[in-house]
Amino acid sequence: MQNNIAVKMQNITKTFGKKVIANKNVTLHIEKGEILSLLGENGSGKTTLMNMLAGIYYPDSGSIFMDNDGEGLKEVSIRSPKDAYTLGIGMIHQHFKLVDVFTATENVALGLDRSIAFNKKQIATDILAICDKYGFKVDPDKKVYNMSVSEKQTLEIVKALYRGANILILDEPTAVLTPQETDMLFDVMRNMKEDGKSIIIITHKLNEVLAISDRVSILRKGEYVGTVDTADASVQSLTEMMVGQKVTLEIDRKEPHDKKERLVVKDLTCVNKYGVTALDNISFTAYGGEILGVAGISGSGQKELLEAIAGLHETTEGSSVQYIAPDSDEKTELIGKTALQIKNMGVALSFVPEDRLGMGLVGSMGMSDNMMLRSYRKGFIFTERTGPKKLANKVKEELEVVTPSIQTPVRKLSGGNVQKVLVGREIAAQPTVLMTAYAVRGLDVNTSYTIYGLLNEQKEKGVAVIYVGEDLDVLLALSDRILVLCDGKLNGIVDARTTTKEEIGLLMTHIREEAQNNG
Amino acid sequence: MKKLFALMLAILMVVSLAACAAPQEATPDQADTSSDFKMGVILIGDENEGYTYAHMQGIQEAAKALGLADDQIIWKYTIPEDETCYDTAADLADQGCNLVVSNSYGHQSHMQLAATEYPDVTFIAMTGDTAKASGLPNFCNAFTAVYESRFVSGVVAGMKIKELVENDKLEDDNFDADGNVKVGYVGAYPYAEVKSGYTAFFLGIKSVYEKVSMSVQFTNSWFDLTKEGETANQLISQGCVIIGQHADSTGAPSAVQAALEAGDTCYSIGYNIDMLEVAPKGALTSATNVWSVYYTEAIGAAMKGETVPTNWAKGYADDAVAITPLGESVAEGTQEKVDETIAAIKNGEIQVFDIDTFTVGGKKVESAFATDTDGDFVPDADEAVFDGYFHESYFQSAPCFALDIDGITLLN
Amino acid sequence: MANVATHKEPLVRIAKRDSIPFWKSTIVRLISIVLALIVCGGIIYLLVKVNPLEVYKSMVEGAFGSFSKDYKFFNRRTWITIRDTMMLLCIAVGLAPAFKMRFWNIGAEGQILVGGIATAACMIYLKDLPPVVLFICMVVTSLLAGAIWSFLPALFKAKWNTNETLFTLMMNYVAIQLTSFFVALWENPYGSNTVGVINPTGHEGWFPSVFGQDYLLNVIVVMIVTVGMFIYLKYSKQGYEIAVVGDSENTARYAGINVKKVIIRTMLISGAICGLSGFVAVSGASHTISISTAGGKGFTAIIVAWLAKFNTFTMILISMLLVFLDKGAIEIASKYDLNDYVASMITGIILFFILGSEFFINYRMIFRHKNKEVQ
Repeated sequence: MQNNIAVKMQNITKTFGKKVIANKNVTLHIEKGEILSLLGENGSGKTTLMNMLAGIYYPDSGSIFMDNDGEGLKEVSIRSPKDAYTLGIGMIHQHFKLVDVFTATENVALGLDRSIAFNKKQIATDILAICDKYGFKVDPDKKVYNMSVSEKQTLEIVKALYRGANILILDEPTAVLTPQETDMLFDVMRNMKEDGKSIIIITHKLNEVLAISDRVSILRKGEYVGTVDTADASVQSLTEMMVGQKVTLEIDRKEPHDKKERLVVKDLTCVNKYGVTALDNISFTAYGGEILGVAGISGSGQKELLEAIAGLHETTEGSSVQYIAPDSDEKTELIGKTALQIKNMGVALSFVPEDRLGMGLVGSMGMSDNMMLRSYRKGFIFTERTGPKKLANKVKEELEVVTPSIQTPVRKLSGGNVQKVLVGREIAAQPTVLMTAYAVRGLDVNTSYTIYGLLNEQKEKGVAVIYVGEDLDVLLALSDRILVLCDGKLNGIVDARTTTKEEIGLLMTHIREEAQNNG
Repeated sequence: MKKLFALMLAILMVVSLAACAAPQEATPDQADTSSDFKMGVILIGDENEGYTYAHMQGIQEAAKALGLADDQIIWKYTIPEDETCYDTAADLADQGCNLVVSNSYGHQSHMQLAATEYPDVTFIAMTGDTAKASGLPNFCNAFTAVYESRFVSGVVAGMKIKELVENDKLEDDNFDADGNVKVGYVGAYPYAEVKSGYTAFFLGIKSVYEKVSMSVQFTNSWFDLTKEGETANQLISQGCVIIGQHADSTGAPSAVQAALEAGDTCYSIGYNIDMLEVAPKGALTSATNVWSVYYTEAIGAAMKGETVPTNWAKGYADDAVAITPLGESVAEGTQEKVDETIAAIKNGEIQVFDIDTFTVGGKKVESAFATDTDGDFVPDADEAVFDGYFHESYFQSAPCFALDIDGITLLN
Repeated sequence: MANVATHKEPLVRIAKRDSIPFWKSTIVRLISIVLALIVCGGIIYLLVKVNPLEVYKSMVEGAFGSFSKDYKFFNRRTWITIRDTMMLLCIAVGLAPAFKMRFWNIGAEGQILVGGIATAACMIYLKDLPPVVLFICMVVTSLLAGAIWSFLPALFKAKWNTNETLFTLMMNYVAIQLTSFFVALWENPYGSNTVGVINPTGHEGWFPSVFGQDYLLNVIVVMIVTVGMFIYLKYSKQGYEIAVVGDSENTARYAGINVKKVIIRTMLISGAICGLSGFVAVSGASHTISISTAGGKGFTAIIVAWLAKFNTFTMILISMLLVFLDKGAIEIASKYDLNDYVASMITGIILFFILGSEFFINYRMIFRHKNKEVQ
């Protein structure tokens, strides 16, 4: 087997500052012509490890060996992305590194030697040849800003292949794709594997790991846990390796009882700042004591929907959102009011936005000052500080927030703790309607389940919970009903207990496909 | 921790400030002997700027003549015309200077303030004009009778015009409608100092060649290389044969030299410094001040503890003004004519502002005031016209001739 | 490929520090100043062959008076250093709220000038009023003038999201021309192209001496503003809103804060205090108005505000350091007969080192051999 190894990383350690150990003594290898999954929770050091292969970071200690000429492993030093390319390593990052105003061909040409870079025709032909070989679909003359996320990703892969990559690293490639697009990507990956390419896929989605990879290497908190053959693994066994303890992967979903109308949305239409209709005539009702899931490809109007309800997004005429107060059953129209007016009318609306530090919290402030965001208007001229302090301590205790002190800027906390601060504050406001957007994005398994538990708790208290999510498995397990958005249109509301993932997948995309068929 | 540290320092500062609330005592250093003598010099520019350089040279020459050591003079360069001037003057007095000199007109009011505060120190605001009115015995003004050298530089220009006309070197556009030869002048500001200067220059030309007219264009800056060059070019393109100037840069002579090389007929009369280096063919001469004459006199008086004159203005009689060596392009016989004129000025035969040589509004000037007493910038006291001429720099050292005489056109 | 394989590890690598203890950052800063002084000393020695220690002594003397037997700390030079420190501090304090809001007010220069013009106008036209009334007029008009000057860029930023950096910068040029206009209008004496000392005899509108000190009132006024601003930013509701808007406008909107209102209000405050520093400059120091009333201090104050990380108390130290450097540099230029470009050069070198030290505070260097030892 020795001569079949493409890359070997030995005793790799990488630290950031003194406290953060991103990778500690990691040793793993990838063979020629295989798909290796690199599995681990957020913050377990998967991306950092791969960035060292791609030349973005340099290890503090440890060695990398490669076999490029078939004559056995040699130690290499990868100081920059350029070195990585020379060695045939290409990485596709989560955030694409493409120039929006350039065409596919021009993006591929960027950074090439002068001699070839200006021969666009040749490059375009080569691109099409690569596409034919592996089954990609790329239009060489299409500008990047006209491309869908999936197309951009394909272009990134083609770019890496064009530069002669034999080892491809894909960082969370499916996070932005629909189920159908994911299948297409996996087909292509298998074709590349047939061709002898080595592929490393970074992910934390267990189903995908099982579906695509030959072997799985697992990292936990920066340390290497082990490698198993996919054939011998199961969701439960992988989760335990990843988390380090037994986890119950069940969400305790109770039957909704005492359902009462809390939010009646009628003909809600929004135009975003580019003049594009982001929400088109949405009507639905959210009930207290129920979790209403919202599914859709990212950017289908989820953000605008929640913001419009919260009074943070302009709506067009004829839109209506009515809030029904729990004690009096009095109806209040929210459209046309600012966030502050809504709050002042006594509407108990809590909102956990998608962008936690950019919208929900103030990154440079501590927990205590962040609690103040909801209450700072109390007090005369000067802010009232004792209440928020108490609340911060309470949230810290109850939700087990790990922070040096409640004064430490929340920016410095880990993603999970940031989310706990935000959710804790919003729940502490005793909402009637609780809206959350991607509440578990980037969180580890345990924290995610803590959040699911909190939402279920709220549901049982009679709160109307609106949960915008991206993981269909979770949506199916957590929600009572699922509302599916597609291109700003409401494509259907289904019963989460009876529907299937495929049905939702179709609802998420079906309008687009129809349009393509017609056009 | 950091905030605490900052806070403590802040408190410390406030406390220490409160502690120092006792008024400071003035400890004037009295210098009785010349070896204790110290002087401070406040300069608007530095050695890179012609006007300041001339003053520096004058002081250095005076120091040499009086035997002052280097460490007896404190130089302060590029002091702007604001409170910095007052701060510097007061600081120099604190350092024990017996004499403080500033070289720019705008320094004056700040110098005067310092003079009020330090009665034992003599303050001289060069080119200033308020010393007499201030009534302060330790506050003085001084200026040379530079109008005399301007007149002589006008004679040099007149000789050149005469030669050009006699040899028929001029073209139609060099003459105005009345057949006068056109002369241009790059002025700084429309102030008396400038007016006095160009009028003297114009009268100098006329003393040699009667049929001339002059256009004056102001740049509204004392030192602006580009603007002075552009203004000179404008005047040359209007057909001016001579370009005089009252501005401190070499912009105009450089423009003249370039135009001359391009085939135009024009020559430059400079100011302050020798322009032959930038305009070897174009420059005829420059009117200059010989500051060392004044500085030797004033510093010498201060060293001996004598009173420095409140208003000082001397000219050719004391060799306090001069013109720089003549360029190669001057007309034949110029040197002789210049020597003759200087001699005549020295013995009083020639008065620069002789009322028989000019008219205002077609009429002879019988009366003009020299001093402004009510602050409206219009002279209203001290009749300067008597004995047949306007007495320039007679009541005060700074020039005060501000009449617009016939033959001179202001373009802006 | 062979050439890649033979690459050695890079000699020096840079890694971001997550945090640094206060004493350590202080040491880094002190070292940077020492290094800067050594470099300056070397340059001075090369230029004029003077003992650098003598030069540094002159710098201290330039700022705090010549050392002699009967040396008193509170001499004229020290007071002028304090006065100029207060001036710089006042502007930096004025910039603090705007900068904390991430509104890059580059227009302090212009705001000082219009504040100064307003003050000078009061001194010239209202000098017959009782002193107290005159002072109230000067304070109010200078505050208003500065506020108006900052209102326009703030309005455009809030309404149309124009770039405040360019807008405030352009307002500086307008203010400079406006100053030239008033200098020409109030020119005294005629022909000087300066306003000269305003009210030189009656001292109407001049800061009165407090406890016999001409500049103590400057200290008092600026200290009140500084402490007030500290409390305002740290403890008031409006200060909290400024911090939220500065961190993220979206968070501010989310919290129901009227972002436009906060931008305009904060800029009015910022401009007003910069205008007030124009009042302190004209009434408390120069007693005249000219373009050099601001003289680049509006830009230097930006350095002060940044180096102090917008903490108004740290600003005291930074402004004092900058003024000290300035005074020291002028003194050595005069004493060793260097022209004042050398002075600017020295200040530049020292600032370069101080700013450069921020790099070493935020990042650490990892050397190759050290790494091998770890292995």
